[in-house]
Amino acid sequence: MRSKIYKGLIREVSKHICILTLIFLTLYPFSFLVVSSLKSHEDIIHNMVGLPQVIRWINYIVAWKKVNIYILNSIMMSGATVGMVIFLASYTGFIFARHKFPGREFLFYAIIALLMIPRELTLIPLFIIVRDLGLLNSRWGCIIPWTSGGLVFGIFIMRTFMASLPEEIFESARLDGANETQLYLKIALPLSVPIVIAVGIMHFVNTWNDIIWPLVTITREELKPVTIGLMSFQAIDPYAQNYGPLFAGYLLTSIPLIILFMFTMKYYIRGLLAGAIKM
Amino acid sequence: MLRPFSTLDQKGEKILSKRDSLLRLVCKNKFIYISLLPTFVLLIIFRYYPAFSALYHSLFEWRGVRTEQFVGFANFVEMFKDFEFQTSLKNIAIITVTRVMISLTFPLLAAELTFNLRNLRTQYVYRTMFVVPMVVPVIVTLLLWGFIYRPDGLLNAILEALGLGYLCRSWLGNFNTALPAIIFIGFPWIAGLGTFAYLIYLAGLQAIPESLFEASTLDGATRIQQIFSIDIPLLMGQIKLILILTIIVVVQSYYIQLVLTEGGPGYATMVPGLHMYYNTFSYFRMGYGCAVGTFLFAIIFTLTVINRRYIRSAVEFEAK
Repeated sequence: MRSKIYKGLIREVSKHICILTLIFLTLYPFSFLVVSSLKSHEDIIHNMVGLPQVIRWINYIVAWKKVNIYILNSIMMSGATVGMVIFLASYTGFIFARHKFPGREFLFYAIIALLMIPRELTLIPLFIIVRDLGLLNSRWGCIIPWTSGGLVFGIFIMRTFMASLPEEIFESARLDGANETQLYLKIALPLSVPIVIAVGIMHFVNTWNDIIWPLVTITREELKPVTIGLMSFQAIDPYAQNYGPLFAGYLLTSIPLIILFMFTMKYYIRGLLAGAIKM
Repeated sequence: MLRPFSTLDQKGEKILSKRDSLLRLVCKNKFIYISLLPTFVLLIIFRYYPAFSALYHSLFEWRGVRTEQFVGFANFVEMFKDFEFQTSLKNIAIITVTRVMISLTFPLLAAELTFNLRNLRTQYVYRTMFVVPMVVPVIVTLLLWGFIYRPDGLLNAILEALGLGYLCRSWLGNFNTALPAIIFIGFPWIAGLGTFAYLIYLAGLQAIPESLFEASTLDGATRIQQIFSIDIPLLMGQIKLILILTIIVVVQSYYIQLVLTEGGPGYATMVPGLHMYYNTFSYFRMGYGCAVGTFLFAIIFTLTVINRRYIRSAVEFEAK
Protein backbone atom coordinates (compact mmCIF):
# COMPACT_ATOMS: atom_id res chain seq x y z
CA MET A 1 0.00 0.00 0.00
CA ARG A 2 2.71 2.42 1.03
CA SER A 3 4.82 1.69 -2.05
CA LYS A 4 1.75 2.44 -4.14
CA ILE A 5 1.44 5.86 -2.54
CA TYR A 6 5.14 6.53 -3.15
CA LYS A 7 4.76 5.49 -6.75
CA GLY A 8 1.86 7.87 -7.20
CA LEU A 9 3.85 10.65 -5.58
CA ILE A 10 6.86 10.06 -7.80
CA ARG A 11 4.64 10.04 -10.85
CA GLU A 12 2.99 13.31 -9.82
CA VAL A 13 6.35 14.97 -9.11
CA SER A 14 7.81 13.85 -12.43
CA LYS A 15 4.81 15.32 -14.24
CA HIS A 16 5.43 18.64 -12.52
CA ILE A 17 9.11 18.50 -13.46
CA CYS A 18 8.26 17.86 -17.13
CA ILE A 19 5.77 20.72 -17.25
CA LEU A 20 8.04 23.14 -15.43
CA THR A 21 10.85 22.31 -17.87
CA LEU A 22 8.58 23.08 -20.82
CA ILE A 23 7.40 26.30 -19.17
CA PHE A 24 10.97 27.32 -18.35
CA LEU A 25 12.09 26.78 -21.96
CA THR A 26 9.03 28.66 -23.23
CA LEU A 27 9.49 31.66 -20.96
CA TYR A 28 13.29 31.78 -20.79
CA PRO A 29 13.83 34.03 -23.84
CA PHE A 30 11.39 36.54 -22.41
CA SER A 31 12.98 36.58 -18.97
CA PHE A 32 16.33 37.03 -20.73
CA LEU A 33 14.80 40.03 -22.48
CA VAL A 34 13.61 41.55 -19.20
CA VAL A 35 16.97 41.06 -17.46
CA SER A 36 19.01 42.32 -20.41
CA SER A 37 16.90 45.44 -20.78
CA LEU A 38 18.34 46.62 -17.47
CA LYS A 39 21.99 46.03 -18.39
CA SER A 40 24.62 48.21 -19.99
CA HIS A 41 25.90 47.19 -23.41
CA GLU A 42 29.18 45.81 -22.06
CA ASP A 43 27.31 43.92 -19.39
CA ILE A 44 25.15 42.23 -22.04
CA ILE A 45 28.11 41.27 -24.21
CA HIS A 46 30.39 39.98 -21.46
CA ASN A 47 27.82 38.67 -19.02
CA MET A 48 25.04 37.46 -21.25
CA VAL A 49 23.29 34.92 -19.07
CA GLY A 50 23.96 36.55 -15.68
CA LEU A 51 22.07 39.18 -13.72
CA PRO A 52 22.84 42.91 -14.26
CA GLN A 53 25.84 44.24 -12.37
CA VAL A 54 24.24 47.66 -12.18
CA ILE A 55 20.56 48.17 -12.89
CA ARG A 56 20.20 50.83 -15.58
CA TRP A 57 16.69 52.26 -15.62
CA ILE A 58 17.98 54.89 -18.00
CA ASN A 59 17.67 52.34 -20.81
CA TYR A 60 13.92 52.71 -20.53
CA ILE A 61 14.07 56.51 -20.70
CA VAL A 62 16.27 56.36 -23.79
CA ALA A 63 13.99 53.78 -25.41
CA TRP A 64 10.77 55.61 -24.50
CA LYS A 65 11.90 58.72 -26.36
CA LYS A 66 12.28 56.58 -29.43
CA VAL A 67 9.29 54.24 -29.29
CA ASN A 68 6.53 56.41 -27.81
CA ILE A 69 5.53 57.59 -31.26
CA TYR A 70 5.32 53.98 -32.55
CA ILE A 71 3.14 52.97 -29.62
CA LEU A 72 0.88 55.96 -30.14
CA ASN A 73 0.54 55.19 -33.86
CA SER A 74 -0.26 51.54 -33.19
CA ILE A 75 -2.88 52.43 -30.59
CA MET A 76 -4.51 54.93 -32.93
CA MET A 77 -4.50 52.65 -35.96
CA SER A 78 -5.52 49.43 -34.24
CA GLY A 79 -8.01 51.27 -32.04
CA ALA A 80 -9.75 52.99 -34.97
CA THR A 81 -9.88 49.70 -36.90
CA VAL A 82 -11.36 47.82 -33.96
CA GLY A 83 -13.97 50.54 -33.43
CA MET A 84 -15.04 50.39 -37.05
CA VAL A 85 -15.08 46.59 -37.16
CA ILE A 86 -17.16 46.33 -34.00
CA PHE A 87 -19.67 48.91 -35.21
CA LEU A 88 -20.07 47.59 -38.76
CA ALA A 89 -19.88 43.89 -37.86
CA SER A 90 -22.34 44.10 -34.98
CA TYR A 91 -25.08 45.91 -36.85
CA THR A 92 -24.55 43.92 -40.02
CA GLY A 93 -24.63 40.76 -37.92
CA PHE A 94 -27.78 42.04 -36.21
CA ILE A 95 -29.53 42.62 -39.53
CA PHE A 96 -28.60 39.19 -40.83
CA ALA A 97 -29.56 37.49 -37.58
CA ARG A 98 -32.88 39.14 -36.80
CA HIS A 99 -34.42 40.18 -40.10
CA LYS A 100 -35.90 38.34 -43.03
CA PHE A 101 -35.51 39.98 -46.41
CA PRO A 102 -35.15 38.79 -49.98
CA GLY A 103 -31.58 37.74 -50.79
CA ARG A 104 -30.52 37.45 -47.16
CA GLU A 105 -28.76 34.11 -47.43
CA PHE A 106 -27.20 35.00 -50.77
CA LEU A 107 -25.75 38.24 -49.40
CA PHE A 108 -24.54 36.49 -46.27
CA TYR A 109 -22.73 33.79 -48.20
CA ALA A 110 -21.28 36.46 -50.46
CA ILE A 111 -19.60 37.82 -47.33
CA ILE A 112 -18.58 34.46 -45.87
CA ALA A 113 -17.01 33.31 -49.13
CA LEU A 114 -14.32 35.93 -48.51
CA LEU A 115 -12.99 33.77 -45.66
CA MET A 116 -11.60 31.46 -48.33
CA ILE A 117 -9.40 34.14 -49.85
CA PRO A 118 -5.92 34.40 -48.37
CA ARG A 119 -4.28 37.76 -47.95
CA GLU A 120 -1.40 36.82 -50.22
CA LEU A 121 -3.76 36.81 -53.20
CA THR A 122 -5.16 40.28 -52.59
CA LEU A 123 -1.95 41.94 -51.39
CA ILE A 124 -0.80 43.38 -54.71
CA PRO A 125 -4.10 44.78 -56.12
CA LEU A 126 -4.98 46.11 -52.68
CA PHE A 127 -1.68 47.95 -52.61
CA ILE A 128 -2.47 49.44 -56.04
CA ILE A 129 -5.94 50.56 -54.87
CA VAL A 130 -4.58 52.16 -51.73
CA ARG A 131 -1.86 53.85 -53.78
CA ASP A 132 -4.38 55.17 -56.32
CA LEU A 133 -6.60 56.49 -53.53
CA GLY A 134 -3.58 58.44 -52.28
CA LEU A 135 -3.56 56.61 -48.96
CA LEU A 136 0.09 55.54 -48.92
CA ASN A 137 1.88 57.02 -45.93
CA SER A 138 -1.38 57.67 -44.17
CA ARG A 139 -2.96 55.99 -41.17
CA TRP A 140 -6.13 55.45 -43.20
CA GLY A 141 -4.08 53.37 -45.62
CA CYS A 142 -3.89 50.78 -42.85
CA ILE A 143 -7.15 51.43 -41.05
CA ILE A 144 -9.51 50.91 -43.99
CA PRO A 145 -7.97 47.70 -45.43
CA TRP A 146 -7.62 46.27 -41.92
CA THR A 147 -11.27 47.05 -41.25
CA SER A 148 -12.47 45.33 -44.39
CA GLY A 149 -10.22 42.40 -43.52
CA GLY A 150 -11.55 41.92 -39.99
CA LEU A 151 -15.14 42.61 -40.95
CA VAL A 152 -15.81 39.25 -42.58
CA PHE A 153 -14.94 37.14 -39.58
CA GLY A 154 -16.63 39.67 -37.26
CA ILE A 155 -19.94 39.54 -39.15
CA PHE A 156 -19.84 35.76 -39.19
CA ILE A 157 -19.32 35.44 -35.42
CA MET A 158 -21.78 38.23 -34.57
CA ARG A 159 -24.56 36.80 -36.71
CA THR A 160 -24.15 33.36 -35.19
CA PHE A 161 -24.28 34.80 -31.70
CA MET A 162 -27.16 37.20 -32.24
CA ALA A 163 -29.24 34.54 -33.95
CA SER A 164 -29.02 32.51 -30.76
CA LEU A 165 -30.65 35.25 -28.65
CA PRO A 166 -34.27 34.36 -27.75
CA GLU A 167 -36.87 35.97 -30.00
CA GLU A 168 -39.23 36.72 -27.07
CA ILE A 169 -37.06 39.58 -25.80
CA PHE A 170 -37.22 41.32 -29.17
CA GLU A 171 -40.94 40.59 -29.51
CA SER A 172 -41.83 42.14 -26.18
CA ALA A 173 -39.65 45.18 -26.88
CA ARG A 174 -41.43 45.61 -30.22
CA LEU A 175 -44.79 45.48 -28.43
CA ASP A 176 -43.53 48.23 -26.14
CA GLY A 177 -42.96 50.33 -29.24
CA ALA A 178 -39.18 50.01 -29.71
CA ASN A 179 -37.93 50.69 -33.24
CA GLU A 180 -35.15 48.73 -34.96
CA THR A 181 -32.38 51.08 -33.91
CA GLN A 182 -33.46 50.74 -30.30
CA LEU A 183 -33.67 46.97 -30.60
CA TYR A 184 -30.05 46.96 -31.81
CA LEU A 185 -28.68 49.49 -29.34
CA LYS A 186 -30.64 48.58 -26.22
CA ILE A 187 -31.05 44.81 -26.57
CA ALA A 188 -28.89 43.06 -29.14
CA LEU A 189 -25.67 44.98 -28.46
CA PRO A 190 -25.73 44.84 -24.63
CA LEU A 191 -26.50 41.11 -24.70
CA SER A 192 -23.59 40.53 -27.09
CA VAL A 193 -20.90 42.25 -25.04
CA PRO A 194 -18.76 39.12 -24.51
CA ILE A 195 -18.66 38.32 -28.22
CA VAL A 196 -18.08 41.98 -29.09
CA ILE A 197 -15.08 42.00 -26.77
CA ALA A 198 -13.80 38.73 -28.24
CA VAL A 199 -14.02 40.03 -31.80
CA GLY A 200 -12.52 43.37 -30.80
CA ILE A 201 -9.52 41.95 -28.98
CA MET A 202 -8.76 39.36 -31.65
CA HIS A 203 -8.76 42.04 -34.30
CA PHE A 204 -6.71 44.36 -32.12
CA VAL A 205 -4.04 41.70 -31.63
CA ASN A 206 -4.02 40.76 -35.32
CA THR A 207 -3.54 44.34 -36.48
CA TRP A 208 -1.06 45.14 -33.71
CA ASN A 209 1.06 42.21 -34.94
CA ASP A 210 0.70 42.89 -38.66
CA ILE A 211 4.09 43.44 -40.23
CA ILE A 212 3.60 43.18 -43.97
CA TRP A 213 0.85 45.69 -44.68
CA PRO A 214 2.42 48.65 -42.77
CA LEU A 215 5.76 47.72 -44.30
CA VAL A 216 4.47 48.24 -47.84
CA THR A 217 2.26 51.28 -47.17
CA ILE A 218 4.16 53.35 -44.61
CA THR A 219 7.67 54.71 -44.99
CA ARG A 220 7.48 57.93 -42.98
CA GLU A 221 9.09 57.50 -39.59
CA GLU A 222 6.47 59.51 -37.67
CA LEU A 223 3.61 57.30 -38.95
CA LYS A 224 5.15 53.90 -38.26
CA PRO A 225 3.36 51.46 -35.96
CA VAL A 226 5.22 49.30 -33.46
CA THR A 227 6.01 46.37 -35.78
CA ILE A 228 7.91 48.23 -38.45
CA GLY A 229 9.03 50.92 -36.02
CA LEU A 230 11.00 48.34 -34.05
CA MET A 231 12.54 47.05 -37.27
CA SER A 232 13.87 50.50 -38.13
CA PHE A 233 14.84 51.15 -34.50
CA GLN A 234 17.02 48.07 -34.88
CA ALA A 235 18.35 48.87 -38.34
CA ILE A 236 19.23 52.55 -38.68
CA ASP A 237 19.46 53.83 -35.15
CA PRO A 238 22.77 54.69 -33.47
CA TYR A 239 21.45 52.72 -30.49
CA ALA A 240 21.40 49.60 -32.64
CA GLN A 241 24.81 48.79 -31.27
CA ASN A 242 23.49 49.39 -27.78
CA TYR A 243 21.33 46.44 -26.87
CA GLY A 244 20.10 47.70 -23.49
CA PRO A 245 17.78 50.45 -24.80
CA LEU A 246 16.82 48.25 -27.74
CA PHE A 247 15.55 45.52 -25.42
CA ALA A 248 13.88 48.10 -23.20
CA GLY A 249 12.12 49.32 -26.33
CA TYR A 250 10.92 45.79 -27.12
CA LEU A 251 9.39 45.58 -23.66
CA LEU A 252 7.82 49.04 -23.72
CA THR A 253 6.03 48.22 -26.96
CA SER A 254 4.68 45.03 -25.39
CA ILE A 255 3.02 46.87 -22.50
CA PRO A 256 -0.24 47.88 -24.24
CA LEU A 257 -0.93 44.27 -25.23
CA ILE A 258 -0.05 43.04 -21.74
CA ILE A 259 -2.48 45.50 -20.15
CA LEU A 260 -5.16 44.56 -22.65
CA PHE A 261 -4.71 40.84 -22.02
CA MET A 262 -4.86 41.32 -18.25
CA PHE A 263 -8.53 42.20 -18.63
CA THR A 264 -9.60 40.26 -21.67
CA MET A 265 -7.57 37.04 -21.84
CA LYS A 266 -10.56 34.78 -21.29
CA TYR A 267 -12.60 36.49 -24.01
CA TYR A 268 -9.65 36.20 -26.36
CA ILE A 269 -9.25 32.48 -25.72
CA ARG A 270 -12.98 31.93 -26.12
CA GLY A 271 -12.99 33.81 -29.42
CA LEU A 272 -9.94 31.92 -30.66
CA LEU A 273 -11.48 28.53 -29.92
CA ALA A 274 -14.92 29.47 -31.26
CA GLY A 275 -13.37 30.87 -34.43
CA ALA A 276 -11.36 27.75 -35.15
CA ILE A 277 -14.35 25.48 -34.82
CA LYS A 278 -16.69 27.55 -36.92
CA MET A 279 -14.48 28.71 -39.74
CA MET B 1 -46.33 49.11 -71.14
CA LEU B 2 -49.30 47.05 -72.23
CA ARG B 3 -49.09 43.37 -71.56
CA PRO B 4 -50.49 40.95 -74.14
CA PHE B 5 -53.51 39.03 -72.94
CA SER B 6 -51.76 35.69 -73.04
CA THR B 7 -49.69 36.40 -69.89
CA LEU B 8 -52.88 36.71 -67.91
CA ASP B 9 -53.72 33.02 -67.98
CA GLN B 10 -53.68 31.25 -64.66
CA LYS B 11 -49.99 30.40 -64.63
CA GLY B 12 -48.86 33.81 -65.86
CA GLU B 13 -50.90 35.61 -63.26
CA LYS B 14 -49.26 33.61 -60.56
CA ILE B 15 -45.77 34.53 -61.73
CA LEU B 16 -46.79 38.14 -62.07
CA SER B 17 -48.16 38.38 -58.55
CA LYS B 18 -45.13 36.59 -57.16
CA ARG B 19 -42.84 39.08 -58.82
CA ASP B 20 -44.95 41.95 -57.56
CA SER B 21 -44.83 40.70 -54.02
CA LEU B 22 -41.06 40.24 -54.23
CA LEU B 23 -40.76 43.82 -55.41
CA ARG B 24 -43.00 44.94 -52.59
CA LEU B 25 -40.87 42.99 -50.12
CA VAL B 26 -37.70 44.56 -51.44
CA CYS B 27 -39.29 48.02 -51.18
CA LYS B 28 -40.55 47.34 -47.71
CA ASN B 29 -37.04 46.36 -46.66
CA LYS B 30 -35.23 49.13 -48.48
CA PHE B 31 -33.82 50.54 -45.25
CA ILE B 32 -32.19 47.20 -44.58
CA TYR B 33 -30.43 47.27 -47.93
CA ILE B 34 -29.40 50.86 -47.41
CA SER B 35 -27.91 50.11 -44.02
CA LEU B 36 -26.02 47.12 -45.43
CA LEU B 37 -24.51 49.37 -48.06
CA PRO B 38 -21.43 50.67 -46.17
CA THR B 39 -20.36 47.12 -45.31
CA PHE B 40 -20.74 45.94 -48.88
CA VAL B 41 -19.03 48.97 -50.38
CA LEU B 42 -16.01 48.31 -48.15
CA LEU B 43 -15.95 44.59 -48.91
CA ILE B 44 -16.37 45.03 -52.66
CA ILE B 45 -13.66 47.68 -53.02
CA PHE B 46 -11.12 46.24 -50.60
CA ARG B 47 -11.79 42.49 -50.73
CA TYR B 48 -13.72 41.36 -53.79
CA TYR B 49 -12.17 43.61 -56.38
CA PRO B 50 -8.55 42.88 -55.32
CA ALA B 51 -9.18 39.13 -55.40
CA PHE B 52 -10.53 39.18 -58.94
CA SER B 53 -7.95 41.71 -60.02
CA ALA B 54 -5.18 39.40 -58.82
CA LEU B 55 -6.56 36.37 -60.68
CA TYR B 56 -6.98 38.52 -63.80
CA HIS B 57 -3.56 40.15 -63.67
CA SER B 58 -1.79 36.84 -63.13
CA LEU B 59 -2.20 36.49 -66.92
CA PHE B 60 -0.60 39.86 -67.66
CA GLU B 61 2.72 41.57 -67.72
CA TRP B 62 1.78 44.33 -65.29
CA ARG B 63 3.90 46.88 -63.49
CA GLY B 64 1.11 48.46 -61.49
CA VAL B 65 0.23 51.11 -64.05
CA ARG B 66 -2.45 51.15 -66.73
CA THR B 67 -0.32 49.68 -69.50
CA GLU B 68 -0.61 45.94 -69.20
CA GLN B 69 0.07 43.24 -71.69
CA PHE B 70 -1.69 39.91 -71.96
CA VAL B 71 0.83 37.07 -71.77
CA GLY B 72 -1.39 34.05 -71.13
CA PHE B 73 0.18 31.55 -68.79
CA ALA B 74 3.71 32.84 -69.34
CA ASN B 75 3.97 34.05 -65.74
CA PHE B 76 3.14 30.58 -64.44
CA VAL B 77 5.55 28.91 -66.85
CA GLU B 78 8.30 31.30 -65.82
CA MET B 79 7.48 30.73 -62.17
CA PHE B 80 7.96 26.97 -62.32
CA LYS B 81 11.19 27.38 -64.30
CA ASP B 82 12.60 29.93 -61.87
CA PHE B 83 15.31 28.44 -59.68
CA GLU B 84 14.46 30.81 -56.83
CA PHE B 85 10.84 29.67 -56.88
CA GLN B 86 11.83 25.98 -57.09
CA THR B 87 14.07 26.44 -54.05
CA SER B 88 11.28 28.25 -52.24
CA LEU B 89 8.92 25.33 -52.91
CA LYS B 90 11.44 22.90 -51.48
CA ASN B 91 11.94 25.11 -48.44
CA ILE B 92 8.24 25.59 -47.77
CA ALA B 93 7.74 21.82 -48.04
CA ILE B 94 10.44 21.24 -45.41
CA ILE B 95 9.08 23.99 -43.15
CA THR B 96 5.49 22.77 -43.46
CA VAL B 97 6.28 19.11 -42.77
CA THR B 98 8.41 19.89 -39.71
CA ARG B 99 5.92 22.47 -38.39
CA VAL B 100 3.09 19.97 -38.74
CA MET B 101 5.06 17.31 -36.85
CA ILE B 102 5.85 19.87 -34.17
CA SER B 103 2.29 21.08 -33.74
CA LEU B 104 1.03 17.52 -33.42
CA THR B 105 3.49 16.59 -30.68
CA PHE B 106 4.77 19.33 -28.39
CA PRO B 107 1.46 21.13 -27.69
CA LEU B 108 -0.24 17.74 -27.28
CA LEU B 109 2.43 16.67 -24.81
CA ALA B 110 1.96 19.89 -22.84
CA ALA B 111 -1.82 19.48 -22.89
CA GLU B 112 -1.59 15.85 -21.68
CA LEU B 113 0.76 16.83 -18.88
CA THR B 114 -1.48 19.68 -17.78
CA PHE B 115 -4.61 17.56 -18.01
CA ASN B 116 -3.14 14.78 -15.90
CA LEU B 117 -2.38 16.93 -12.89
CA ARG B 118 -4.57 16.07 -9.94
CA ASN B 119 -5.15 19.57 -8.66
CA LEU B 120 -7.44 21.73 -10.82
CA ARG B 121 -5.92 24.87 -9.36
CA THR B 122 -2.39 23.91 -10.51
CA GLN B 123 -3.84 22.91 -13.87
CA TYR B 124 -5.16 26.45 -14.22
CA VAL B 125 -1.87 28.05 -13.12
CA TYR B 126 0.18 26.01 -15.59
CA ARG B 127 -2.27 26.71 -18.38
CA THR B 128 -1.94 30.43 -17.74
CA MET B 129 1.85 30.18 -17.82
CA PHE B 130 1.78 28.43 -21.18
CA VAL B 131 -0.52 31.10 -22.55
CA VAL B 132 1.55 34.05 -21.29
CA PRO B 133 3.82 34.37 -24.39
CA MET B 134 0.68 35.33 -26.33
CA VAL B 135 0.87 38.82 -24.80
CA VAL B 136 4.27 39.46 -26.38
CA PRO B 137 3.94 41.04 -29.84
CA VAL B 138 5.05 38.73 -32.65
CA ILE B 139 7.65 41.22 -33.85
CA VAL B 140 9.31 41.27 -30.41
CA THR B 141 9.53 37.47 -30.34
CA LEU B 142 11.05 37.49 -33.82
CA LEU B 143 13.62 40.20 -33.13
CA LEU B 144 14.50 38.48 -29.86
CA TRP B 145 15.18 35.20 -31.68
CA GLY B 146 17.14 37.20 -34.21
CA PHE B 147 19.36 38.29 -31.34
CA ILE B 148 19.58 34.77 -29.93
CA TYR B 149 21.00 33.59 -33.29
CA ARG B 150 23.50 36.42 -33.77
CA PRO B 151 27.22 35.59 -33.80
CA ASP B 152 27.50 37.51 -30.51
CA GLY B 153 24.06 36.34 -29.39
CA LEU B 154 22.57 34.26 -26.62
CA LEU B 155 22.76 30.79 -28.23
CA ASN B 156 26.49 31.08 -28.85
CA ALA B 157 27.01 32.43 -25.32
CA ILE B 158 25.20 29.42 -23.86
CA LEU B 159 27.18 27.00 -26.04
CA GLU B 160 30.38 28.71 -24.95
CA ALA B 161 29.38 28.39 -21.30
CA LEU B 162 28.67 24.69 -21.79
CA GLY B 163 32.11 24.18 -23.30
CA LEU B 164 30.67 23.63 -26.78
CA GLY B 165 32.30 26.72 -28.23
CA TYR B 166 33.34 24.87 -31.39
CA LEU B 167 29.65 24.73 -32.40
CA CYS B 168 29.31 28.52 -32.39
CA ARG B 169 28.38 30.17 -35.67
CA SER B 170 26.18 32.82 -37.21
CA TRP B 171 23.09 30.64 -37.17
CA LEU B 172 21.02 32.65 -39.66
CA GLY B 173 24.00 33.56 -41.85
CA ASN B 174 25.12 30.02 -42.48
CA PHE B 175 23.85 28.07 -45.50
CA ASN B 176 23.33 24.83 -43.60
CA THR B 177 21.82 26.18 -40.42
CA ALA B 178 19.63 29.07 -41.62
CA LEU B 179 16.56 27.00 -42.47
CA PRO B 180 16.73 24.76 -39.38
CA ALA B 181 17.23 27.92 -37.28
CA ILE B 182 14.07 29.45 -38.75
CA ILE B 183 12.14 26.29 -37.91
CA PHE B 184 13.62 26.15 -34.41
CA ILE B 185 12.24 29.61 -33.53
CA GLY B 186 9.85 29.41 -30.63
CA PHE B 187 11.29 26.21 -29.14
CA PRO B 188 9.61 24.29 -27.42
CA TRP B 189 6.90 25.53 -29.77
CA ILE B 190 4.09 26.00 -27.30
CA ALA B 191 4.09 29.74 -27.98
CA GLY B 192 2.43 31.28 -31.04
CA LEU B 193 0.50 28.80 -33.16
CA GLY B 194 1.38 26.19 -30.53
CA THR B 195 -0.60 28.04 -27.84
CA PHE B 196 -3.64 27.70 -30.00
CA ALA B 197 -3.04 23.98 -30.56
CA TYR B 198 -2.40 23.53 -26.84
CA LEU B 199 -5.71 25.18 -25.92
CA ILE B 200 -7.63 23.14 -28.50
CA TYR B 201 -6.11 19.86 -27.27
CA LEU B 202 -6.68 20.74 -23.62
CA ALA B 203 -10.33 21.66 -24.23
CA GLY B 204 -10.74 18.39 -26.14
CA LEU B 205 -9.25 16.35 -23.29
CA GLN B 206 -11.48 18.06 -20.76
CA ALA B 207 -14.52 17.14 -22.85
CA ILE B 208 -13.82 13.39 -22.64
CA PRO B 209 -16.33 11.84 -20.22
CA GLU B 210 -14.80 10.88 -16.88
CA SER B 211 -16.58 7.51 -16.97
CA LEU B 212 -14.44 6.29 -19.87
CA PHE B 213 -11.28 6.69 -17.82
CA GLU B 214 -12.87 5.11 -14.77
CA ALA B 215 -14.09 2.08 -16.67
CA SER B 216 -10.74 1.39 -18.30
CA THR B 217 -8.92 1.91 -14.98
CA LEU B 218 -11.14 -0.80 -13.49
CA ASP B 219 -10.11 -3.01 -16.37
CA GLY B 220 -6.51 -2.47 -15.32
CA ALA B 221 -5.34 -0.05 -18.01
CA THR B 222 -2.44 2.22 -17.09
CA ARG B 223 -2.59 5.91 -17.88
CA ILE B 224 -0.09 5.51 -20.72
CA GLN B 225 -2.24 2.80 -22.30
CA GLN B 226 -5.26 5.07 -21.90
CA ILE B 227 -3.53 7.88 -23.76
CA PHE B 228 -3.16 5.66 -26.82
CA SER B 229 -6.48 3.86 -26.57
CA ILE B 230 -8.76 6.68 -25.33
CA ASP B 231 -7.24 10.17 -25.55
CA ILE B 232 -5.71 10.12 -29.01
CA PRO B 233 -8.62 8.38 -30.78
CA LEU B 234 -11.08 10.80 -29.18
CA LEU B 235 -8.85 13.78 -30.05
CA MET B 236 -8.67 12.77 -33.71
CA GLY B 237 -11.00 15.63 -34.71
CA GLN B 238 -8.81 18.20 -32.97
CA ILE B 239 -5.64 16.64 -34.36
CA LYS B 240 -6.95 16.85 -37.93
CA LEU B 241 -8.07 20.43 -37.36
CA ILE B 242 -4.65 21.48 -36.07
CA LEU B 243 -2.99 19.61 -38.93
CA ILE B 244 -4.93 21.44 -41.62
CA LEU B 245 -4.81 24.85 -39.91
CA THR B 246 -1.05 24.54 -39.44
CA ILE B 247 -0.60 23.80 -43.12
CA ILE B 248 -2.84 26.71 -44.14
CA VAL B 249 -1.01 29.16 -41.88
CA VAL B 250 2.53 27.95 -42.63
CA VAL B 251 2.21 27.66 -46.41
CA GLN B 252 1.34 31.34 -46.81
CA SER B 253 3.55 32.86 -44.12
CA TYR B 254 6.81 34.61 -44.89
CA TYR B 255 7.02 37.37 -42.29
CA ILE B 256 9.70 35.51 -40.30
CA GLN B 257 12.03 35.47 -43.29
CA LEU B 258 11.07 39.02 -44.21
CA VAL B 259 12.19 40.28 -40.80
CA LEU B 260 15.17 38.01 -40.14
CA THR B 261 16.86 36.70 -43.30
CA GLU B 262 15.33 38.25 -46.44
CA GLY B 263 15.32 34.73 -47.84
CA GLY B 264 19.08 34.36 -47.58
CA PRO B 265 21.83 33.41 -47.38
CA GLY B 266 21.44 32.82 -51.11
CA TYR B 267 17.98 31.29 -51.35
CA ALA B 268 18.48 29.14 -48.26
CA THR B 269 15.35 30.40 -46.50
CA MET B 270 13.33 31.66 -49.49
CA VAL B 271 9.61 30.78 -49.48
CA PRO B 272 6.92 31.42 -52.15
CA GLY B 273 5.27 34.30 -50.25
CA LEU B 274 8.59 36.11 -49.96
CA HIS B 275 9.36 35.42 -53.61
CA MET B 276 6.07 37.14 -54.45
CA TYR B 277 6.83 40.02 -52.09
CA TYR B 278 10.24 40.80 -53.58
CA ASN B 279 9.10 40.47 -57.18
CA THR B 280 6.27 42.89 -56.42
CA PHE B 281 7.81 45.51 -54.18
CA SER B 282 11.46 45.37 -55.22
CA TYR B 283 11.22 44.59 -58.95
CA PHE B 284 7.66 45.92 -59.48
CA ARG B 285 6.66 42.80 -61.40
CA MET B 286 3.05 42.93 -60.24
CA GLY B 287 1.70 40.49 -62.84
CA TYR B 288 4.25 37.84 -61.93
CA GLY B 289 3.56 38.48 -58.23
CA CYS B 290 -0.15 37.92 -58.87
CA ALA B 291 0.68 34.58 -60.51
CA VAL B 292 2.57 33.44 -57.40
CA GLY B 293 -0.35 34.72 -55.29
CA THR B 294 -2.80 32.75 -57.44
CA PHE B 295 -0.70 29.63 -56.95
CA LEU B 296 -0.77 30.08 -53.17
CA PHE B 297 -4.50 30.76 -53.31
CA ALA B 298 -5.10 27.49 -55.20
CA ILE B 299 -3.31 25.50 -52.49
CA ILE B 300 -5.01 27.25 -49.59
CA PHE B 301 -8.44 27.14 -51.21
CA THR B 302 -8.15 23.38 -51.68
CA LEU B 303 -7.11 22.89 -48.07
CA THR B 304 -9.93 25.11 -46.81
CA VAL B 305 -12.48 23.11 -48.78
CA ILE B 306 -11.07 19.86 -47.38
CA ASN B 307 -11.22 21.38 -43.91
CA ARG B 308 -14.85 22.46 -44.24
CA ARG B 309 -15.99 19.25 -45.90
CA TYR B 310 -14.31 16.57 -43.88
CA ILE B 311 -12.73 17.93 -40.77
CA ARG B 312 -14.61 20.81 -39.22
CA SER B 313 -17.70 18.74 -38.50
CA ALA B 314 -15.62 16.25 -36.54
CA VAL B 315 -14.85 18.80 -33.84
CA GLU B 316 -17.98 19.53 -31.89
CA PHE B 317 -17.51 20.87 -28.43
CA GLU B 318 -18.44 23.91 -26.45
CA ALA B 319 -15.52 26.34 -26.32
CA LYS B 320 -14.76 27.27 -22.74
